[in-house]
Amino acid sequence: MNAFDSLTGALAALLILPGGLALMLIGLIYEWANRKLIARLQNRLGPRWFQPLADVIKLLAKQSIVPAAAHPTLFALLPMIALASVLTSALALPMLGLAPAYAFPGDLIVTVCLLSLLTLCLSLAGFGTDSSFGLVGAMRALMQLFSYEAPFLLALLGPAAAAGSWQIDVIMRYAEANPWMLFTQPLGFFVAVVGLMAKLEMAPFDAPEAHTEIVSGPLTEYGGRHLALFRLSKDTALVIGLTLVAGLYLGGIADPLTFLVKTLALLVLITGVQALFARLRIDQSTTLWWRYVMILLLVQWLVMMVSRG
Amino acid sequence: MNTLNLPERWRDAVETVKRWSRINSPWALHFNSGSCNGCDIELLATLTPRFDLERLGVKLQASPRQADILICTGPVTRLARERLLRVYEQMPSPKYVIALGACAVSGGVFQGCYNVVGRVDAVLPVDVYVPGCPPRPEAIIDGMVKLLAQLQAGEKEKPG
Repeated sequence: MNAFDSLTGALAALLILPGGLALMLIGLIYEWANRKLIARLQNRLGPRWFQPLADVIKLLAKQSIVPAAAHPTLFALLPMIALASVLTSALALPMLGLAPAYAFPGDLIVTVCLLSLLTLCLSLAGFGTDSSFGLVGAMRALMQLFSYEAPFLLALLGPAAAAGSWQIDVIMRYAEANPWMLFTQPLGFFVAVVGLMAKLEMAPFDAPEAHTEIVSGPLTEYGGRHLALFRLSKDTALVIGLTLVAGLYLGGIADPLTFLVKTLALLVLITGVQALFARLRIDQSTTLWWRYVMILLLVQWLVMMVSRG
Repeated sequence: MNTLNLPERWRDAVETVKRWSRINSPWALHFNSGSCNGCDIELLATLTPRFDLERLGVKLQASPRQADILICTGPVTRLARERLLRVYEQMPSPKYVIALGACAVSGGVFQGCYNVVGRVDAVLPVDVYVPGCPPRPEAIIDGMVKLLAQLQAGEKEKPG
């Protein structure tokens, strides 16, 4: 294979499959699955299968308005940074069950940090548009980030400690060879799932964009193509988060079939929880994370340390 | 508007895709410009699981920046006129307006009141009128579908 072929191959892998385009399309399909399932649980018919795609195309084709109070460059740049960081975080993961594109020791930490960059961009968007709803939403998003980030990371470090590596690829191979860590570290699994829901700002943790209180939170002033990019990055983050948690706790992801089965099973679980619970106030969710979930995690780590000797 | 110098066939294809997405994802914004709340309750009833507008792709948005269709209830009062205009101008085009209920269509029983400007189309260009006092959810869905059918037929092409 000459240099040109390997370059086009790498570009195709990055832009089309399994990176970029394929990732966003899967994100849209997973968003539909999520919305449809919620609709069925609420006894509704729910959206048609192409609904998220139509939403995104419509938003891309709309006029884009930059508020007079917002910094025009920052306003346009934040959604791009959000989407870019989320897409980059897929590099170290076995997306679609294929081998990770770029694995290196310690990529677990980098992946989680890149996913947090989405929340950071969202809250900066809220701060930057000089809207009081955006300001309140951004404060709530950051508050929630400080509550769930540490427990979520600790929950993902449980499998890492068991496998003795901070490289996602190595942890997943360990997970395939050993009993599912869902059973050996049940408390860690619980925290990872709830942490994923908080990261994606799903129902019990959707205080940052509470529609009934603060319009759309940080995205109040966003419309058109900028909003489309934020939606795409949220959908992609959904797929990536599902892959991460399913791969670590549900016995690794070896091929496309296990990818589909495990991530969809996790999505069904998350959607059920989402439909079941009402929104937590921001102080309630902070209390939940630091008073209860953190204790659970410490118990989990204590058990792990004692059992290892 | 067309900055790209595309061949005619490609431009048509892009327009078709745009129109398809617009018809299949109409996000609505609800504004009460002086209604007695009757129409508002019926509009909320339309969004309940029994009628479920999400199967048409309709989502109720809270921010005008994210909305495509402004659903306006009630006659426009002198105080609400300025707000209504501001909300309408915050929406990115292409945007459409539905006048919901007898008062929005004609001024209804509030016609000629000292504090009322008049019906909605005295202030904004209205695309669909849904009469009734208040209109039933079926009538609201019918109005929505009629607007989407107009979009499909290309009758409502606006610059933007």
